[in-house]
Amino acid sequence: MATGESQTPDYQQRKWQNLRKLLERSGPFCHPDFEPSAEILDFIMNSCKVLIVGAGGLGCELLKDLALMGFKKIHIVDMDTIELSNLNRQFLFRKNDIGLSKAKCAVEFVNKRIPGCEATAHHCAIQDLDEGFYKQFHIVVCGLDSIVARRWLNGMLMSLLQYNDDRSLDQSTVIPLVDGGTEGFKGNARVILPGMSACIECTLDLYPPQKTFPLCTIANTPRLPEHCIEYVKVIQWAKENPWGTTTGLDGDDPQHVAWVYEKAQERALKYGIANVTYRLTQGVLKNIIPAVASTNAAIAAFCATEVFKLATSCCVNMNNYMVLNMADGVYTYTFSAEKSPDCVACSNNTQVMEIQAEATLQMIYDKLCEDQLYMMKSPGITTVINGRNKTLYMSSIKSIEERTRDNLKKKITDLGLYNGADILVADVTTPNTITIKLKFIENIDVEMSR
Amino acid sequence: MIKLFSLKQQKKDEEGTARAGGSQKKASAAQLRITKDLNELNLPKTCSTEFPDPDDLLNFKLIICPDEGFYRGGRFVFSFKVGPNYPHEPPKVKCETAVYHPNIDLEGNVCLNILREDWKPVLTVNSIVYGLQYLFLEPNPEDPLNKEAADVLQSNRRLFEQHVQRAMRGGYVGSLYFERCLK
Amino acid sequence: MASPSPKSPEQTEKTKQYDRQLRLWGDHGQMALEHGHVCLINATALGTEVLKSIVLPGVGSITIADDKTVSDDDIGNNFFLESSSNGLNRGSEALRLLLELNPAVQGHAVQEPTDQILRENPDFFKAFSVVVATALEDKTIQNLAQHLWDINVPFILCRSVGFLGSFRIQIKEHAVVETHPDNEQTDLRLDVPFPALAEYLDGFDIDGVELKDHGHIPWIVILYKAVQKWQISNTNCWPMSRKQKNEVKSIIEEFIRKDENGIPINEENFEEALRAVNTALMPTFLPTNIQNLLYSSAATNLTKESSPFWIMCSALRNFIESEGKGKLPLRGVLPDMTASTEHYIKLQNIYRSQAAMETEIIYRKVQQIIAQLHCENISEGEVKLFCRHAHDLYLIKGSNIATEHQLGGTVAAYISRYLEEPDVMMVHYILLRAAEMFRSEHCRAPGDWEPEGDIAMLKTCVNKILSDISCSPFPKDDHIHEMCRYGGAEIHSVSAFLGGCVAHEAIKIVTKQYKPVNNTFIYDGASTNTTTFTF
Repeated sequence: MATGESQTPDYQQRKWQNLRKLLERSGPFCHPDFEPSAEILDFIMNSCKVLIVGAGGLGCELLKDLALMGFKKIHIVDMDTIELSNLNRQFLFRKNDIGLSKAKCAVEFVNKRIPGCEATAHHCAIQDLDEGFYKQFHIVVCGLDSIVARRWLNGMLMSLLQYNDDRSLDQSTVIPLVDGGTEGFKGNARVILPGMSACIECTLDLYPPQKTFPLCTIANTPRLPEHCIEYVKVIQWAKENPWGTTTGLDGDDPQHVAWVYEKAQERALKYGIANVTYRLTQGVLKNIIPAVASTNAAIAAFCATEVFKLATSCCVNMNNYMVLNMADGVYTYTFSAEKSPDCVACSNNTQVMEIQAEATLQMIYDKLCEDQLYMMKSPGITTVINGRNKTLYMSSIKSIEERTRDNLKKKITDLGLYNGADILVADVTTPNTITIKLKFIENIDVEMSR
Repeated sequence: MIKLFSLKQQKKDEEGTARAGGSQKKASAAQLRITKDLNELNLPKTCSTEFPDPDDLLNFKLIICPDEGFYRGGRFVFSFKVGPNYPHEPPKVKCETAVYHPNIDLEGNVCLNILREDWKPVLTVNSIVYGLQYLFLEPNPEDPLNKEAADVLQSNRRLFEQHVQRAMRGGYVGSLYFERCLK
Repeated sequence: MASPSPKSPEQTEKTKQYDRQLRLWGDHGQMALEHGHVCLINATALGTEVLKSIVLPGVGSITIADDKTVSDDDIGNNFFLESSSNGLNRGSEALRLLLELNPAVQGHAVQEPTDQILRENPDFFKAFSVVVATALEDKTIQNLAQHLWDINVPFILCRSVGFLGSFRIQIKEHAVVETHPDNEQTDLRLDVPFPALAEYLDGFDIDGVELKDHGHIPWIVILYKAVQKWQISNTNCWPMSRKQKNEVKSIIEEFIRKDENGIPINEENFEEALRAVNTALMPTFLPTNIQNLLYSSAATNLTKESSPFWIMCSALRNFIESEGKGKLPLRGVLPDMTASTEHYIKLQNIYRSQAAMETEIIYRKVQQIIAQLHCENISEGEVKLFCRHAHDLYLIKGSNIATEHQLGGTVAAYISRYLEEPDVMMVHYILLRAAEMFRSEHCRAPGDWEPEGDIAMLKTCVNKILSDISCSPFPKDDHIHEMCRYGGAEIHSVSAFLGGCVAHEAIKIVTKQYKPVNNTFIYDGASTNTTTFTF
């Protein structure tokens, strides 16, 4: 009975018996490092912190799945509020919740349903949280529909990596990222070990480009109903500005959608094009991706299983990318996406440059051009200071060259650089912009003269 | 596979605890890529760029002053906005100078395939610059955005040339007024 | 400021709520779902996960049959039970929490054991569009499967143990009109143009059009003209071989206009024509699988009980034999291509009108059949859909789970073929079956209390199955050991994955859209492998 169990530590409770069988018993297919023990469930429940990014179709499922896999210290971040069209799959929300924060609503529901779960909500954009925040997690799992947000998150986890002096990765700084995505009856899930396996940026080509139509087709030779809608969206809106010049087209405003729908119909009629519908108009304007509960459930559960494996080592993780197609039977295909050796995000191309604290930018520039290590042709140098990008010197662009030329004479410390600061250097001799960490050294001349 | 967390070092730093010394916000992948693009920008002599803020490499202007063809002597300004999803998505490019051109409409929309349907992440800012420059050398009446201009170009090149000249000097072509844009 | 406020078209609450899925199966698919009634036997974690993804999209009603009482284990892995559910009937509790997801869904709970229902009220199952069952005993599975087979109610049997899961669909016959293929084959009839198309194509003079329009000639016209030119030196012939197609390509290249310096002008439509040579010159033919379907006895021997699908198949066959001259009705869909609006819309209308005409003929044939058989009416919309998708009709003729479980000759041969490979997924199938046998014999899951002690006993079950199908025992015990390690544990994320898949299949069956699994799906969460077997 529940009352009798209140003395038992949570991880030994009867209700977790199913999980305990997996974690307290050894099996022939376990990872060699796996040591079955009751402590693993204790770790999952009381130490392991997991961040869920997105509280939508996948996020709701992930929160439920992880909470029932024993995780208690779950954080979930989402900036969105609940809409009616979410309710066909985002099962933690009801009609009364429309307009409320997705993250908060989801957390409230799951904490109530599963006693002991201590999920925390963050109703904000992922970009509003700093690296101190992201650093606290053991694992991040992400169910987003935006490529930009994925790339940002990927970049954040990569920037938390630290390397030892021999340039080997400090594995304690690795926060694994499990990423899921769905589109209609299709989906994918992947496991990313930052710095160790292919990251989002390594495989950016896997995302199909957004469907666009040639502008001249839209303007002059429309053939499809989509062409008519795109015309109103791209050209006619800016021409007519129906709500005044300050009001941009908002796909979430039903009046705007209705206006576009009507104009697109007029245009379609003029050209003899059939089938401009309200649903299609909305779909084109908002770039709506079809979504259904079942696909989301399957992909989220798949990700949750991988999170559980990562946290417990009870089983080897998937290596490393799975695609799911549920349109024709149910089909999965798993492959190993390859890490790109010169990926802008995850290749450790950070080099260290030793330089005197009194040095000028010119000295860095000369070093980049003359030092055997670099031998660059015309390096462009930028940096990030207090989160803001700063161009230090770039010779290839006249207007920038003129305005940054004076920097060459300045001391690097006067430019805001410090010991350990990163400078970003682009040059024809390297496939990507590289990061160089400055390491200040004592001025040898001074040393010798003493 | 590595065993990522030994149970002994299981606790993570609490939220907001001191940052490791020297760690700093990194530049985004889009930022790194545009830096590379711009550093290798190899402009034809008819083109120049203007950066209102040299620290902001994501927003700038391209000025094209063609030295041959219908548009020689003109000065055309394009605005480039590079978004956070660069290079997965192309930069947004608009023509800020009113121009009588079959492939550029009066709102500044530009019909250039690599700005929309044919964009690929391997393309660079340089590819766009060359594409735009080519539009002034070889306006393409087959895929018009300004249909009237295209029709004139196709039926009467002399008349088209006159229209372009009139527009660049500042004046009316038909009922449409164009600001002067001669150098 | 004056608001342009156009009249907003009526969008109901319901279309807004279901918008994201209506884009997948349409309003008619939604209607079918809302008429569906799904029965779940045993509200385990897997069971409730299935219902969750059926209730959310708005199935008509659900019924849960479960005689068990909620235990601690249940609360630990089932989201649709709460602490206060402990000790209460599992089905009723799960139903209460599931119905909260969607007020539009009706629900019922039945607290009798399945065996009793089968004995005392077998007609109970007749009301359902699909029955989903989990955590059943071997004997009950066989009786239930046989009964559902006899009364022709689709059945999905699912299992979830440790990292392993499976589901098996038993459905006598399932016809799908809308399969939603990823790449729909085009149906352009360039080899056998119908009169209106021939007239249009013949009236086109490529060399006569102005340069301005040259870039706007649809590639269909270009290709047709090129083939005609090719046929001057290849009478009564259609370009099929690579060599012949290359000859057509060179003719197209000759069509391309040159500028004053003799350099070919880059025209998108001609490039499209060149690309289309490889795909669009495929001759029009009646696919064998469709032919088999149309000449199967269900389509040739109609009765009053024949389903609309078979009646339409019969009408379609009649059309092909007469008006269609051996061909399916025209699909009537023109892919997008570089062209002026005028050319494109004209061509599109030619295809659409012809398709509508042929559909009309078939619809009349359907009505004749209905009149003869005195059976229920079939709407024009249904016939339209059928004709539109006639190229992709799909039929599953299923098999009986009871037969599969008896491991008869064909089933045995099928399994042993996979075991010879050796296919590890078939090994999982054997183990799932063996674990079920173990449970019937020992009233608990293998390894429930203690894994090592049960290995030998589970091995006996495995060997019994293997000997029934005349296969030699497994060389190693590792999979048997792993099954004992699981000890019958149901892991939530494994059940949630399967639950999503099973719900999905149930929706496919109810809406009769998309191709369901035929017929057994196995998932191993440990190795992240899945496979499909057809028993």
